[in-house]
Amino acid sequence: MPGDASNDPTDDQTGRFVVQPNGRVRPLSPHLQVWRWHVTMFASILNRMTGGALSVGSVLIALWLLALAFGPDAYATFTGWMGSPLGLLVWFGLTLALFLHLTGGVRHLIWDAGSGLTPRAADALSWASIIAGVVGAVVFWVLLFASGRVAL
Amino acid sequence: MSRQTRAFVKGVKVSERHGAGEWTAERLSSLILVPLTLWGLWSGFVLSGGGYDGAREWFASPVNAVLLAVTLLVSLWHMNMGLKVIVDDYIHKPGSRTALLGLIGLLCLAIAAAGVFFIVRLALGSAPLPAGFGI
Repeated sequence: MPGDASNDPTDDQTGRFVVQPNGRVRPLSPHLQVWRWHVTMFASILNRMTGGALSVGSVLIALWLLALAFGPDAYATFTGWMGSPLGLLVWFGLTLALFLHLTGGVRHLIWDAGSGLTPRAADALSWASIIAGVVGAVVFWVLLFASGRVAL
Repeated sequence: MSRQTRAFVKGVKVSERHGAGEWTAERLSSLILVPLTLWGLWSGFVLSGGGYDGAREWFASPVNAVLLAVTLLVSLWHMNMGLKVIVDDYIHKPGSRTALLGLIGLLCLAIAAAGVFFIVRLALGSAPLPAGFGI
């Protein structure tokens, strides 16, 4: 209890309490290393990480447009880099991030609409979005190779 | 910043500043991006391995050019909001936060401006750059 002499948060030396901007002392919220691993947590972190990765991807899309606008020679240089094994790995990673962010985004829209919020449904939706994202990206690349559009 | 709005709507506590608007904008942009992303994946599939001529032919369709411009702009809007949330969560020093948010905003604006410029040129079938710019 705040103000309880036996457990005065202002005397606490463990760093469990922080002074809020309004001057009040409040317990620090437990962070990642304290939480038990859970799929909804993992799915949430994954959505943020893939969003960050896609921000880098937007720069690559801009470079693609730039190379195309600068003509055949610039475009050949660009596709040379991006068609290399390392380039293809980067684009596979971005495709995976895009699929996961898409399925994760749909999951969040379902939750924001007020559905699927019981623990069981939330777990199921999290797993479904992760699996659908990975399967989608793998199928996309299998089709790219199978149709001969991309070759190593 | 501190413009006060109604704290309650239909008996439900809502943000007194701009939080509700940001929340709505994030959801609205996600909703728009779901079909655009599916179209973008399909377009990426079609464009893969098509080379320079294939890409120029793709851009000759106004539908493709317009949809790509819309996808790019809505994505950058969504990206700007998403990165702002990440910075707000992890960067606690007001000065660093403002500077970082400014840089992210500039990056988004630069990509948007350059992207739309290139898309318009490609859609109009303009000669390869730097034609006419005297570089």
